[in-house]
This record gives sequence, C-alpha cells and structure tokens, in this order.
Amino acid sequence: MRFANWFTPAIALARIAWLRTVLYLFVILDMHAFVRDTRDKGEHPGLYQPLLLARILDLPKPSVANTTTLYVVLIVFCLIGATNYFPRIAGWVVAPAFTWWVLIGMSDGKVDHDHLALVIALWVLPTVKAGSRGIASYGDQTKSEAAGWAIRCVQICVIATYFLSSIAKLRGAGWTLAWPNSAILTWAIVRRPHPVGEWLLHHPWMLHVMQWVGIIGEFCSPVILWLKGRWQLLGALFFLGFHAANTAILLIHFLPTVVCWLAFAPLERVVPWYRARSDRKAGEAEDQTEHGRQAEQQAGA
Amino acid sequence: MVTQSQEERRGEQTAVRLGPVGKGVRVLVAVVGIGLLINGSVRASDDAWPFGPMSQYAGSVADDASITFTRISAVTDAGTTVDVPLNIEGAGVARAEIEARTGEIVKDPSLLQQVADGWARKHPDKPKYVKLELIRDTTQLVKGRVEGPPTPEVLATWEVRK
Repeated sequence: MRFANWFTPAIALARIAWLRTVLYLFVILDMHAFVRDTRDKGEHPGLYQPLLLARILDLPKPSVANTTTLYVVLIVFCLIGATNYFPRIAGWVVAPAFTWWVLIGMSDGKVDHDHLALVIALWVLPTVKAGSRGIASYGDQTKSEAAGWAIRCVQICVIATYFLSSIAKLRGAGWTLAWPNSAILTWAIVRRPHPVGEWLLHHPWMLHVMQWVGIIGEFCSPVILWLKGRWQLLGALFFLGFHAANTAILLIHFLPTVVCWLAFAPLERVVPWYRARSDRKAGEAEDQTEHGRQAEQQAGA
Repeated sequence: MVTQSQEERRGEQTAVRLGPVGKGVRVLVAVVGIGLLINGSVRASDDAWPFGPMSQYAGSVADDASITFTRISAVTDAGTTVDVPLNIEGAGVARAEIEARTGEIVKDPSLLQQVADGWARKHPDKPKYVKLELIRDTTQLVKGRVEGPPTPEVLATWEVRK
C-alpha cells in the first residue's frame, strides 16, 4: 500500500490548473519554435520514415490536409485547455494530436529526446477531474490523489530523461565507464563550432570535468524524487544549471523538459501567497491613510 | 497560529481519494510505463520513441578519432559556390536528417533534388542552386586535441533539375 501511495500523493488541484495553462501554451510555442517542421513534412513527405508508434497505429503519411488540420486543432484546443474551462475534453484532444505532431516531426531519421515529459504530461493531465473552472481553479486547494498521480508521472518522466541518459551513455560504451573520459564534447563542438566551445577545445580537461559532473548528476537524479523542500529545489537548480551549460556548449536547450520541472514546484501556493501579499498591501495602505488623516487633524488643530 | 503540519493534516482529511480500481489502474500504468522506458534504454533504438533510449551525445569518442561533419555545397546560377543552410528556414531540411540519410543519398543522389527545391521555394528571390555536392569534412583528433584543418571529401553530386 505504501508503494501504491507513493504514486498517488494528495496534491492540490491548483497545481494541475497551473500546469494545464503553462503546458498547453507551451505546446503552441513548441509547434512554432521546436518541432516546427511538421507542416513542411506534410508538403514534402519525401524523407518521411515512420517511427514504430506510427507504424503500429498505421497512421497516414503526412499530407498538407492532415498536418494543417492537426495544426488548427492543436491551436484551438490548447487555447481552450489553457483557460481551464473544459480542460479534460481539450486535454484528450491535445494529447493524441500533439503526440502525432511530434511523431511526424521526428520521422526523418532524427529523434530528439527532450519531449518525453511534455508528451506524457499531456496524456496524464486530462485524467484529473477539475473541482473548479477558469480563474477559480488556480487557487483550488482541494487535495486530490488523482492530481498527485498525474504530477508524479510528470516528475518521473523529467527524472527519467536524465537517469536514462546516463544509462544510454553506459550502454553506448559497451556497458563501461568510458564515456566521461572520451572526447565526446570535443566531437560535439567540432561539429557545431561557436566561440565558447572553440575556447574550450584548447582545454580538454575542462570538458572531461563537465562530462564527469554530467554523468554523475544524471545517474543520481532519481534522488530528487525523494528530496523535500529546499533540498529538492537545490536538485532542480543543479539541473537548470546543467541545461544552461548545455545551451552554452552544445546549443541544446531542452526547454520541453525544463518547463516540466514545474511539476515539482508548489504552484498551488501562488494564489494564497498573492492574496496574503495584496491583503498586507491593502492593510498598509489603510494604515497610511489613517496616518495621513491623523496628521491632517493635528495640523488643523 | 496554525502550524504547517496541522494544515497538512487538515488537507489530508479533505483530500479527494481514489477508489481501489482507480488507484490500481494508475499505479499499473505508471509501473508499465517505467518498464517500457527501461526496456527502451536497455535494448531499443530511437525508433521506439517516446520509449526509446536517451541517446543524445551518448556515444564515446576515442582520443584519436576522426570527426566527420556532413554538409552540402551548392553552385548557384549566379556562379557562386555556397554552403547550403541546413535548417528549416534555409533549405527546409535539417543537417541531422541529411546525416542520418547519407547512405541513401550516396546510392540515390536524386534525393538532393528536394534540397534545391526547398531552397528555391523558400527563397524565390535568391540565386537558384544548379549543382549540389554532398561533402564530408573529416577532422583528426590526436590525444584528444584537434589536429589541423578538416579534410573535405565529395560523397555525391547532383545536377539540379529545373
């Protein structure tokens, strides 16, 4: 039972509402900034090589008609889902539609590894029944195990992205620890030259230190699932720093994974915090007018 | 003054619980998902997306490796020779796609036609490509350091159809 409960912590529905808004809007950004060649592939399916999932489901070859439909459907239903009105209906449309969108985008011989958490998040979010609608949902403090499960799934996928990266590195070296001492970052920089990287090419030892920090951090990442409060925040900051370094050295941002770190954040506290703050401000303002009146009276006296 | 633990306890009491079936199914889905991910990382390839291995930059590169970099060079109808910008805004095709399909392009250089078509479609006012060359640049590593400039090698040539 303890095992089952770990997968279903009771978490306030407000966190789901925030995630819905942020992630559905992020999908729209993603379609234009990251996986943005899906419609091009509909126009020119020459290099289309369907991935396993597309073959199992026997999905049709991308065409102008189906990729344009996907585009319009995604924009409309992401906007609906982001409002937290009819979030489940919108969510059940967005999840398969975006999965297909990304499948097409990656069906040309190159697969990116930054979409796991986002795609799974889209599939689990609509399983949560919302307690309140629209604006009210951002402050809904009702705790729910269904919400907790969805959030736990996203957290697991975020962490899996790192942990499984370290496993892939061990596997890539024939299950040895050759990767951190290899010239992989040198290789990456030679193929994508830029000023920071070219400076680092003269100091291979620094690249080796980064490789060790990277693989050890990735391998230990599951610990974050059991950390609490500040320690968990520290773990999250380590990986955000890791992404900043990756962006500087490899020009790889991993934003679709980064945005899913929000599943760890106590977003349900935003509204109470904001209310307390504005209450305090209002209180202070009242105090001040009170002071002013007293001062006036004194001056008049 | 309400302490945090009291607040939490109150929350626990009002929490919306899952029934045994709802909970069981969810835990099962999570466990199967984790199983698929582990399976993907241990045995599968990128084909198994989203359950494939996280293999970005997971290869080990030896200290004395030759690093290859594939690019496409174009002769334009203005008589200039340029490197084709291999991205969506450029010729509508990414470098990774070209690298992944190098073998096929070498066997059938006509696949390069769509690079020229993509460029012409996206940049109608710029000089057209008349001849394309798929080139592999090789950079040699010695003891983990870059040794000298890259050596180019032409893998495929395609005279663009109008």
